[in-house]
Amino acid sequence: KSKEAEIKRINKELANIRSKFKGDKALDGYSKKKYVCKLLFIFLLGHDIDFGHMEAVNLLSSNKYTEKQIGYLFISVLVNSNSELIRLINNAIKNDLASRNPTFMCLALHCIANVGSREMGEAFAADIPRILVAGDSMDSVKQSAALCLLRLYKASPDLVPMGEWTARVVHLLNDQHMGVVTAAVSLITCLCKKNPDDFKTCISLAVSRLSRIVSSASTDLQDYTYYFVPAPWLSVKLLRLLQSYPPPEDAAVKGRLVECLETVLNKAQEPPKSKKVQHSNAKNAILFETISLIIHYDSEPNLLVRACNQLGQFLQHRETNLRYLALESMCTLASSEFSHEAVKTHIDTVINALKTERDVSVRQRAADLLYAMCDRSNAKQIVSEMLRYLETADYAIREEIVLKVAILAEKYAVDYSWYVDTILNLIRIAGDYVSEEVWYRVLQIVTNRDDVQGYAAKTVFEALQAPACHENMVKVGGYILGEFGNLIAGDPRSSPPVQFSLLHSKFHLCSVATRALLLSTYIKFINLFPETKATIQGVLRAGSQLRNADVELQQRAVEYLTLSSVASTDVLATVLEEMPPFPERESSILAKLKRKKGPGAASALDDGRRDPSSNDINGGVEPTPSTVSTPSPSADLLGLRAAPPPAAPPASAGAGNLLVDVFDGPAAQPSLGPTPEEAFLSELEPPAPESPMALLADPVPAAEPGADWHPGHPAPLPLPPRFVCKNNGVLFENQLLQIGVKSEFRQNLGRMYLFYGNKTSVQFQNFSPTVVHPGDLQTHILSGLGQPPTKRVAAQVDGGAQVQQVLNIECLRDFLTPPLLSVRFRYGGAPQALTLKLPVTINKFFQPTEMAAQDFFQRWKQLSLPQQEAQKIFKANHPMDAEVTKAKLLGFGSALLDNVDPNPENFVGAGIIQTKALQVGCLLRLEPNAQAQMYRLTLRTSKEPVSRHLCELLAQQF
Amino acid sequence: MIQAILVFNNHGKPRLVRFYQRFPEEIQQQIVRETFHLVLKRDDNICNFLEGGSLIGGSDYKLIYRHYATLYFVFCVDSSESELGILDLIQVFVETLDKCFENVCELDLIFHMDKVHYILQEVVMGGMVLETNMNEIVAQIEAQNRLEKSEGQGLG
Repeated sequence: KSKEAEIKRINKELANIRSKFKGDKALDGYSKKKYVCKLLFIFLLGHDIDFGHMEAVNLLSSNKYTEKQIGYLFISVLVNSNSELIRLINNAIKNDLASRNPTFMCLALHCIANVGSREMGEAFAADIPRILVAGDSMDSVKQSAALCLLRLYKASPDLVPMGEWTARVVHLLNDQHMGVVTAAVSLITCLCKKNPDDFKTCISLAVSRLSRIVSSASTDLQDYTYYFVPAPWLSVKLLRLLQSYPPPEDAAVKGRLVECLETVLNKAQEPPKSKKVQHSNAKNAILFETISLIIHYDSEPNLLVRACNQLGQFLQHRETNLRYLALESMCTLASSEFSHEAVKTHIDTVINALKTERDVSVRQRAADLLYAMCDRSNAKQIVSEMLRYLETADYAIREEIVLKVAILAEKYAVDYSWYVDTILNLIRIAGDYVSEEVWYRVLQIVTNRDDVQGYAAKTVFEALQAPACHENMVKVGGYILGEFGNLIAGDPRSSPPVQFSLLHSKFHLCSVATRALLLSTYIKFINLFPETKATIQGVLRAGSQLRNADVELQQRAVEYLTLSSVASTDVLATVLEEMPPFPERESSILAKLKRKKGPGAASALDDGRRDPSSNDINGGVEPTPSTVSTPSPSADLLGLRAAPPPAAPPASAGAGNLLVDVFDGPAAQPSLGPTPEEAFLSELEPPAPESPMALLADPVPAAEPGADWHPGHPAPLPLPPRFVCKNNGVLFENQLLQIGVKSEFRQNLGRMYLFYGNKTSVQFQNFSPTVVHPGDLQTHILSGLGQPPTKRVAAQVDGGAQVQQVLNIECLRDFLTPPLLSVRFRYGGAPQALTLKLPVTINKFFQPTEMAAQDFFQRWKQLSLPQQEAQKIFKANHPMDAEVTKAKLLGFGSALLDNVDPNPENFVGAGIIQTKALQVGCLLRLEPNAQAQMYRLTLRTSKEPVSRHLCELLAQQF
Repeated sequence: MIQAILVFNNHGKPRLVRFYQRFPEEIQQQIVRETFHLVLKRDDNICNFLEGGSLIGGSDYKLIYRHYATLYFVFCVDSSESELGILDLIQVFVETLDKCFENVCELDLIFHMDKVHYILQEVVMGGMVLETNMNEIVAQIEAQNRLEKSEGQGLG
């Protein structure tokens, strides 16, 4: 069956169901059930379902169980945010909760838990604890109520009131019914994270419960025995709960618990009671959780070593799952001082796993474990194994391995020549995966340690001899030879001209960024080796440099050439002196690895940062004609060095940037930042706040918050015009934070998803985004922050993490200014605040309207009062492309009407703006004039301010 | 917590999809597709865990899956769940389906989609494990069937 046929069939069925629902004849319960079920199936196949909710609500309000059941199912799968509907659903739920019919109560609780929205929480969070601890509630109701409460608590903890019920929840651990106990343990595990003291009594109850299960014969628990293992899930949950607390203080409780843990470890050695994999799975689930608890306590050396031995056995197990989990657990075990040595004894097995496992998930765990168990004694072995693995590693994990090798090599380097060799090997083996942080770091270290500089120069020189070497090698080589090439110049095989011609032989194959770096190397060569001056000046003077199409290269060539001919040797020597040492700080690679470990979404941000073009923007390299033609750079330089102005006016700041750039960080001015590339600079060396660079390079740690970032009440940033015609995209981005937006609008309602990404490796604290309605805007547009069911926007946003927020929007009447989003948080102690305009403009509530030419003209004439029309004639800011214009107009929201305007070049559109209070009909006409590169835009609507506002919004787009 | 439960066949056709975290419809479908491609390319006898895809989760999430004949059962869970525990839970779910449908096969999931959902609801509620005792689950389902029958007769 072809795709088209399927779609056709489904559309037919949808039309059929729609007509049945709309028909005059009332449907009986059975047919309603049938059609609602069909809709569910069509949804499963991946088709949008936008109706049927009303019928589902009817069903779930029925007194018949089967109707209620399918009604609830439909609503929980296809949640709809229509407020009217939610009111009806909540009503039905309320009735069912009060019905005292346990089956109905369970259905209602299921629905609340499955939807789990904030609205549900607001309506029911207060009732559920009562149901949970009521003496007369049935077991199944208690069980559902516990999980329902847990779900609401996870979604919106503020809505769940703590109270005297909490004590009674703890006592559910003693309940007869194992299902109730399991649900209660899940609930307590979550609640006790925030209020450990309120639930402290659960420790002893949990221990005694666990002890009864562990020591029972497998038949005692009858139904909860799973493949001969007594209550495995409950045991696992109890062990998890105990991991929320430190070891029990009461000696008797602790003794009993240790006994349990030992019993579990002992049982692992007993012969299996069944050959089935389910038996060993269940048994090992308990075992792994026991080991986690032992590691969590980290206080019983005897148990830790036993745990380690047990995991060691699993490392060789034929079940891949067990090898995977053993590697994972051992990773945490490696950081305990009691077991670190014991973990190390398994090094050969782990290396073997890295080499021979067929499964990438397992190899990844092995690499993690090697990283965790590495110390000075085995670093050389581990690093060389990881390097060897890198040659054949899966592409997906290469970058992480590169970072790990780089960190280990640095951390455990005894002699730095080994470190340099390792990094160069990394570039040779996996050059594409060596990120900037890695090669920046090697330069930092070489610059700071003079015992390794000569070796580094010699090694890179040799590495560059290879006929094909990676561009990153050229970068490192170029930089190091520019600094320390003199240390090997005595050898005739690496004399200055040889060094230069070697580097220059790579020049033409390299990217712009690398060529820019090499130009800086060349100017440094002129200082290091005066004999190369003529050759290098010749290269700089060549048309391919001086008139290079890339402004950055052209600028460097022009200015380096002038510098080399104007400046005296002394000035040259000062300006181009060797780089000063970098201040010691946390490795930027480590920060990067941490960032990588963050949620997957963050990697997109990383990519953005690594993108060279965005670095250019961050770095503020914006060569304007005036800076290119700076007549005497050296004069400016001297002025600048004499007195760096704290807040340089833009022009001289521009020149400052340029000069710093050109002169490659003179030693006399360490605060200006020493490297040719601003991005590099902002990674390595945040300039002191008074440096003019701060204006340009915008360093990450809040040294000098950019203009957008002063705490207090910042003025709202303007809305990027592209959001008028687009609903998705990056709304805001700076060094710390990225805010992405995704929104959808229907009629006068909208829903917006905001994604906040922490681009740093440091946690944001007190993170609070709120929506502000300036003036009386609230009476025009209602927008409230709805929380997605599981993730409230947390007050903390971890480094590299992304959080999501949902905004529900209702347009009450027409409005002119968008609501504001105010975001506040603390970054490294410094309060940050920004205010943005939300991309909610009146045109979002457009409903396109198709009409024939005569209708259009008739309406056009009806709207002929002067105040109903707004017109603008403006110059095109973008190339005039009919297709692009069309797309923009459609994005703007109106329908495009063909064959209306007699001139086919013109665009005509119509639509209705939907607000709750009124509808505003809009007609528009856009007349491009290609010769003049001008547009005329005319809007006619039934409301004067709307005409003008729409006209302004749309005019920015072309 | 369980973020999502996805069941699809060897060709990636979804047979049961349940999300416990809200995603827009098109993202849900992307997640199903992405998960299918992640799982499909794995051999049968390697481990049952893999790090989550790009759409759902991040490093705190794992996909835990089992392959039965023509169907893949995939649970996307966060680190608060035991991997082996979830693996057993999948087994419980499938064994329960098998009991309720007497030798369950892919067609049962298509023709009795509502039933399958009801069975799942007895096992997992709002992303949390509700019941792991197969007899208890089957008893609940049988009670439902009895109610259904009695109502059917009432209409008679």
